[in-house]
Amino acid sequence: MTQKNDSTWRLQCTVNGDPIDADVAQDETLLFFLRDRLGLTGTKGSCLEGECGSCTVIVDDKPINSCLVLCPQMQNRNIETIEGLAHGDKLHVLQEKFLASGAAQCGYCTPGLIMSAKALLEANPNPSEQEFFEGMEGNICRCTGYAAICEAIKSAAREWK
Amino acid sequence: MKTSPSQPTGIVAPTKSDPLVDPSTTPYKEAPHGPVGRSERRIDGTEKVLGTCLYGADLFYSRADYFARVVRSEKAHARIIKIDAAAALKCPGVVAVYTAKDMPGTNRQGLIHRDHPVLAEEKVLYRGDAVAIVLAENEHAANRGIEAVRVEYEDLPVVADFDDALAEDAPRLHPDGNIMGGKRIRKGDTDAALSASDVIISETFLTQTVDHAFLDIEAGIAQWDGRLLTIQVSGQWAHEERRLIALALGLPMEAVRIITPATGGAFGGREDLSIQVYLGACALKHPGKTIAMRYSREESMRARHKRHAMRIHYTVGAKKDGALTAAKITIFSDEGAYASTGPAVLRKSASHATGPLRIPNVYVDVYGVFTNNNPTGAMRGFGACQMAIAYNGMMDRLADRLGIDRIDLWKRNLIHGGDSVTTGQVIPVATAVECVDAALHQFRSKKHHDRPLAPHEKRGWGLSVICFGLGYGDGFPDASRATVKFNAAGRVEVYTGAVEYGQGLLNMAAQITAEELGVPISHVDVIWADTGRTQESGSSSATRQTYFTGNAVKIAASELREQVLDIAGKLLHVHPHELDLHDAKAVGRYDPALVAPIAQIVAEGRKREYPLEANGIFKPRTVCEDYETGQSPRSFITYLFGSHIAQVIVDTETGETRVERFIACHDVGKAINPQSVAGQMIGGATQGIGMALMEEVIMENGVMKNANFTDYILPTFRDVPTIETVILETDDPGGPFGARGIGEPPLIAATPAVLSAIANAIGVSPHTTPCTPQRVWELLHPDQAAVPYEARLSTAPPHMRLSI
Repeated sequence: MTQKNDSTWRLQCTVNGDPIDADVAQDETLLFFLRDRLGLTGTKGSCLEGECGSCTVIVDDKPINSCLVLCPQMQNRNIETIEGLAHGDKLHVLQEKFLASGAAQCGYCTPGLIMSAKALLEANPNPSEQEFFEGMEGNICRCTGYAAICEAIKSAAREWK
Repeated sequence: MKTSPSQPTGIVAPTKSDPLVDPSTTPYKEAPHGPVGRSERRIDGTEKVLGTCLYGADLFYSRADYFARVVRSEKAHARIIKIDAAAALKCPGVVAVYTAKDMPGTNRQGLIHRDHPVLAEEKVLYRGDAVAIVLAENEHAANRGIEAVRVEYEDLPVVADFDDALAEDAPRLHPDGNIMGGKRIRKGDTDAALSASDVIISETFLTQTVDHAFLDIEAGIAQWDGRLLTIQVSGQWAHEERRLIALALGLPMEAVRIITPATGGAFGGREDLSIQVYLGACALKHPGKTIAMRYSREESMRARHKRHAMRIHYTVGAKKDGALTAAKITIFSDEGAYASTGPAVLRKSASHATGPLRIPNVYVDVYGVFTNNNPTGAMRGFGACQMAIAYNGMMDRLADRLGIDRIDLWKRNLIHGGDSVTTGQVIPVATAVECVDAALHQFRSKKHHDRPLAPHEKRGWGLSVICFGLGYGDGFPDASRATVKFNAAGRVEVYTGAVEYGQGLLNMAAQITAEELGVPISHVDVIWADTGRTQESGSSSATRQTYFTGNAVKIAASELREQVLDIAGKLLHVHPHELDLHDAKAVGRYDPALVAPIAQIVAEGRKREYPLEANGIFKPRTVCEDYETGQSPRSFITYLFGSHIAQVIVDTETGETRVERFIACHDVGKAINPQSVAGQMIGGATQGIGMALMEEVIMENGVMKNANFTDYILPTFRDVPTIETVILETDDPGGPFGARGIGEPPLIAATPAVLSAIANAIGVSPHTTPCTPQRVWELLHPDQAAVPYEARLSTAPPHMRLSI
């Protein structure tokens, strides 16, 4: 990664498999970059301080709060957002289960929840209750009340390949 | 009554073998055959799970020309001496700085009193009051700009709470003084009944300020093209937003168009205007430009109104056998700096002061008191949830005092059909007892694995019972309108001004329409909350949209159904009454060989110049509660009942409470979409658990100390157990397919159930919410409390009389 001047860096990474080569400000958060520069508005900002998980994306298999990391930290990393999950009309199993269980109501927390759940199940397709909470407790949902979300993730886990 | 999910019963269409069934002699019950009563998938669900659904903040990436930000007061109460924008205007990228004198219209907002300047004029009344707008070429410059605006203040004494506000030498926050308003209930002779009671108990409850904490922060865009101001910001009531914005900005209403984007939760927090009017003011000054703005989380929490903190003095009298004789109640409600929807909230507190209890003598005084805290207004529960904490708490205390089992005491005093509530309104169908029985049945019949307790832990369970009048009621001209039509492609379009913010309104409207027209919901599109295309349908609040907009949609759809049947009758050469609509076809009721697909019927209708479009308006009348007595024969169009059971474990060493089991039971009339109803019950109960245990806006001398999600604690995955839902369906004679609604009651019932469980566990009934570990510990060790409970109370007599 090259620093072009005091405040601008050249960032090379991938987002949903697509190579990205862009000039970024050194204080630009990944959330801002994804939403306002790349137009990937599926990743949501809410608390903007790492408490609610709405902005969760997966970076090299780990879920992170994109509001808390700066673009220069993303050099050569592989970033996955909610937009990368479905294949054409075919929903990802988590998306399908969220829909079937009624786990998306207002839908604002949904992309972050799905990304956290994906990172959790990819690392551990059969999480214990404790592991489930550890994987998901960083995400807040204000309107669904969690039951439907738990059901969706658990039924996705049963079909996880 | 029956429990979901089971097959609907009631009238069935006459068949050949039994053609003489007379519907007028059978009990009222519509029997849906189509999507009504089914858990159809959300019609906006796919875009939500894909992340392609566009919320306010998603509209302006690359589309905005200018960004606006608001300079907010750093003082809770101060006079503005000078606003110096010179430094801000020198910041690179800053285009303009606007203050009150630049506002084109009345510069006033407020849902009821219009008492809140859009931009402060002489004084600021809370820390967060808007003082100026900075407009810049990008968000970064706007942020620099607001920091560079210098506002010179003269400090004024801060009115921090009720007692400050009511003190004789208190500064007057508004021209009419610090009492915003009040409400009285006078039913029977309370003093005489109390003195004739065998037992009288009193308690003072302190409820907290709560934040809506919806996740979708206020954000959006506006444009002015010289004729029309278009604003796209999430909200709850597009048509009222249009009225308020037009008034504030001096425009005719027709010159404003509100298009509500996807809205990520609201809970009452979007009833007052947020950023719409700042955006509008900037757009008017820059024709052709797209103006964008968004709050930070902190600004969202500092600027927005909150739930009313209340101090409730509650006295009840009872006979030895437990029969309630009288209730005397005085409520002080913290209105904060401006009225917002406060006048309606305190009326709802009064009319719900005794909930579903049958009490012949009731005396209630409610006072809304202005302070220099955040304005308080609408939030899910709307004045009724604070009262539910109080009357449920009193029932626990009374059961203890009388040595009567809680359930027996409840059952002895719950209203039945034909009894009246606080306002004297007679409730023809009251299912409070049925809700209690169903909740208890679930609690006792379903096995739950209770883990063994450590020696310092105590387990308890509690029950709450509530009722809730839906709609604005109280004489307000509350109405919903809808249009249903076939479009050129033959699809069905439903037009409603109502807002979907997650509660499932789109499915409700689509499922009712599809049911009436006999088509699958995949044939139905809902166009909503766009003042340019839809008609006023009232706010998505007060648990009213299923009942109000549901009825309006049903009226429109059934009118359109008549057109379809009429055309099909002509096509098939039979009387329309001999046809049914289902599976997107008209089918002969007595001759299944008669079939015409909807597409063919619509094409035939166009040829014959049928409108293929119908309107529905639902505007039931309610009667304003009497000024002196608060009594009304019909203050609310209908009532909802519910009962919750919570089982908790309290750690007596730390005071921490964990909810280990939770049951929510509500009579919803008819669940149009059972999954969606359960979702509202679980989500509402979760917020109620939050209110019981953790959520609290902490104000210190007018400063919000926890305006962020690190310090404002919300329930997470770990804080709530799997909430068990029990849906009862007792038809409401006036509801669409018998439906009532569900939005607010789950929150209202949840908080007192948790408090009751804590009382059951530790033997002391909570009086202050939320029951944080510290407060529970102090209940167990009252002598060691940091601030003794008594010291939190006013020195004023509990039932003082003020003029309102």
